[in-house]
Amino acid sequence: MKKAVSFAMAVAMTASLTTVGAVPVLADDVSITIFNSKTEIQSQMEEKAAEYAEEKGIDVEVYYSNDTVAAHMATRYASEDPYTLSMVDAKDVYSLGKEHALDLSDQEWVNDTDYEISVDGTVYGFPVCVEARGLMYNADAIEAITGETFNPDDYKTLDAFKELIAKLIEGGMETPVGIMKEDWSLGAHFLSEVYEEQEDVEGFITSLHEGSADLINNEKFNSLMDTFDVLMENNYAKDSPIAAEREVSEQKLAEGEIAFMFGGNWDWSVINAYDYTENMGLMPVPQNTEDGTNEKLVGGGSKYFFIDNSDNTSEEQQQAAKDFLNWLVYDEAGQSFIATDCALVPAFSNNAIEVSDPLGKSVKKYADEGALIPNYDYAPDDHYSICGASFQKYLAGQIDRAGFATEIEDYWKATTPVEH
Amino acid sequence: MKRNTMSYKVKQFLMFAGPATVLFFAVVILPFVYGLYLTFTSWDGISKTKPFVGLANYLAAFKDAAYWQALGRTFIYSAIAVILVNVVAFLLAYLVTSGIKGQNFFRAGFFVPNLIGGIVLGYVWKFVFNRALVSVGQALSIGALSTSWLATTNGAMLCLIIVSVWQYAGYMMLIYVAGFMSVPKSLMEAAQIDGCTKSQATWNVTVPLMRASFVQCLFLTITRCFMVYDVNLSLTKGEPFNSSVMAAMHVYNQAFTYKNYGTGQAEALILFVVCAIVGVTQVYIGKKGEVEA
Amino acid sequence: MDANAQAAQKKKVSHAIMMIVLVAVFFLFIFPLILVIINVFKTKADITSNPLALIGAHGFTMENFPKAMEKMNFLVVFKNSLIVTVCATVLTLLVSSMAAFVIVRNNWKACNLLFSGMVASMVIPFQVLMIPLVSLYGGIFGVLNSRITLILMHVGFSASMATFMFHGAIRTNVPMELEEAAFIDGCTRWQTYWKIVFPLLKPTIATVAIIDAMAFWNDYLLPSLVLGRKELYTIPIATQVFYGTYSTDIGLVMAALLLAMLPILILYLFLQRYIVEGVTSGAVKG
Repeated sequence: MKKAVSFAMAVAMTASLTTVGAVPVLADDVSITIFNSKTEIQSQMEEKAAEYAEEKGIDVEVYYSNDTVAAHMATRYASEDPYTLSMVDAKDVYSLGKEHALDLSDQEWVNDTDYEISVDGTVYGFPVCVEARGLMYNADAIEAITGETFNPDDYKTLDAFKELIAKLIEGGMETPVGIMKEDWSLGAHFLSEVYEEQEDVEGFITSLHEGSADLINNEKFNSLMDTFDVLMENNYAKDSPIAAEREVSEQKLAEGEIAFMFGGNWDWSVINAYDYTENMGLMPVPQNTEDGTNEKLVGGGSKYFFIDNSDNTSEEQQQAAKDFLNWLVYDEAGQSFIATDCALVPAFSNNAIEVSDPLGKSVKKYADEGALIPNYDYAPDDHYSICGASFQKYLAGQIDRAGFATEIEDYWKATTPVEH
Repeated sequence: MKRNTMSYKVKQFLMFAGPATVLFFAVVILPFVYGLYLTFTSWDGISKTKPFVGLANYLAAFKDAAYWQALGRTFIYSAIAVILVNVVAFLLAYLVTSGIKGQNFFRAGFFVPNLIGGIVLGYVWKFVFNRALVSVGQALSIGALSTSWLATTNGAMLCLIIVSVWQYAGYMMLIYVAGFMSVPKSLMEAAQIDGCTKSQATWNVTVPLMRASFVQCLFLTITRCFMVYDVNLSLTKGEPFNSSVMAAMHVYNQAFTYKNYGTGQAEALILFVVCAIVGVTQVYIGKKGEVEA
Repeated sequence: MDANAQAAQKKKVSHAIMMIVLVAVFFLFIFPLILVIINVFKTKADITSNPLALIGAHGFTMENFPKAMEKMNFLVVFKNSLIVTVCATVLTLLVSSMAAFVIVRNNWKACNLLFSGMVASMVIPFQVLMIPLVSLYGGIFGVLNSRITLILMHVGFSASMATFMFHGAIRTNVPMELEEAAFIDGCTRWQTYWKIVFPLLKPTIATVAIIDAMAFWNDYLLPSLVLGRKELYTIPIATQVFYGTYSTDIGLVMAALLLAMLPILILYLFLQRYIVEGVTSGAVKG
């Protein structure tokens, strides 16, 4: 008996080691897989995909992974099991587009967007939405104290902003600001504005690499840091800024306990879980500057679809994926899926549906006015982490502005430039 | 049946250890060898080309100051955590096998932390350190508690150690309990008849017979602590200022987030060697003095 | 007071102290679980604003459970987890205890080599093997997206530690005399193993079973690499739809956690008996 069991076991093992254990794919049906890297729209994606599949008679499965996008892509490509359509970040398109992505230059939608990604003249990335960074505000909370209608345009300069803060404090809101201590927020979002708002961005980055940039005497750096100092001074978690939890800060902003926080329209997915007040929005970071950057948000296309070009994806699948992208742009159902169901800001000019969330509305407004300073997508992969850590030290009061500037300069000097 | 012919040996070995050997080689050794090869390439993790670069990744690893800092940090963390985990686990095991009322209930309770992992662990403990302890500290005006430990360099390390003890103690307790249970009661009774007190009997009779359990627990805690990743990720994510990044997390970031796959892999191998030396030495020393049954 | 009464008194006091210590430590250990149980019946807003409140401002809600179950496709992923965990645990117990037996009882080169390889392999960080593993079994052999592959990989990865644990147990707790007696009675090695050795290993079997079952049940990384198809997802992979960089639905995560941990807790309570039972069977040695 025992022998029989062990024999069966051995057979089972060898058999399973040698046989192909892959799930068979129905041969005559086209089935595509979509990788979604935006958690907040996962359930909307799944629902829509089911509808879409039914309508078009193909099979669509939407996947999501909690790993970093690059790591997840790496494992899928290593196992030669890529998704038909993958949603990744801009920098991923630059790094893997040439090798793994299908040429989309001939697609009609290329003419209807300013945000597509091309590498060496070939379009690989389809922009999912527009996202931008700025100062989030809760107008209801501000108006409750000042008694006046809050118009963000009145607070372009730091001086005006400071006056407002003083008024809020006087009115009983002792600490009107929240600061996210996450390295991606500090490093990739706030610090990056220092680069992005330079007149000659590429030249500035080159000078950082070469070590010739003098950050501590740089106008943009100081102007933005001056504003950051004011935010820091009025941070509700001033005593222990590194312990501030993002969820808690967002809830305070949503419910009007604080009035300002640096962030972007993606924060809406957190805020909308709380009892938010109606009048919120996104405004440019106030600065005492004449260069116009205090009238613009920073941002652009965010999250890109690319179609796999390998032999693992058949031509039918590639065509089905292209059809899906076109559906997102040109079909009314696809347009409303992006703007209404997912509450994203469309990246295509032909999509006229009004955005449903307040932060998105602000972004749309600035985008339509052409008041978006473009993202700098070529920072090295470890930039947000290492420079974010330096920024955290500054936030915690462990280094001063000069020390912070030196650490940033040292980082850039030690890093090899990203080819692009 | 003759017991020393080659064919007998081979048959015996294959019969008992064959399946384990095959699977172990297929799943661990083979990928490991391939992984070793990848450390000699400058692969970025996703590209189709894997250019051979010789020892460049190892050179980069040696020059990576952040890695060595992380490794040093991991040493300190492991040394403290290993001792605390085992002391707590042993004491718990002793208490819950001493015939106390409701010991099954207690055992289940101490085991529970193992079942809470990942994001929930991070959420709960962040709440404890960032908010619960802080409000207690402020209410009672205890200076050390009035700001969050997670916000300071040493505090974050302390938090990591506390959570690790909480998580692993119940797990190691299991092994110690099995150890206690496999020491025959008759021996304990004999010792007590001979005039030993219960604690003396435990110390002089049971503990030496539990050597295997000690070796196992120490080895498991050492390796787990050296390779700590989950707790690190969910509790501190390396914050503040990347000062709580442990070796495994640095390796992961290097390979996948910073896209230096080869360097990350090389650094992981160095971690493996260090960890193997420490762990195997411990097992060797432990086995040498083992009481033969 | 005579000596006996004094001793009894002393025993009582020490017993009471032990009890107090145990209860205190017990609460420290299960405090996070209590927190989870309290918060799973609250809305996200209430969880963030005050995790300690028994009932949040938005009232008591059961919503998290059905919502989590629906989003995870609970019945399917539960079944998948169960199949993988049960098969992998049973196989691990069998192959590892057998391997440990032959390693302990024979001083052969192959045995020593295998054992040291296994011990050393326990310190390989999984990240090292991740990409090579999928390159080999996905890229070259094409056997990913299959439960059998996952089960065998689980066994391969956990065989080292299980063998290591059985190795210790056989060395110290299985007397050679019994085996020799069985041999004299005409038992083959194979029969001896199943009739004498295996039953004596009960406490360790129960321990390893719990440890491995728990590891398999909760493992995320390996299944997420091997099972790339929704219909094969296990519980930990399915719960990841609740996590994200920009938002995490903590109420759903907690509900999922509670749903997922029950089977392991039940298994633990069940197997615990065998750990205790082991005392009597282990007592043959003297």
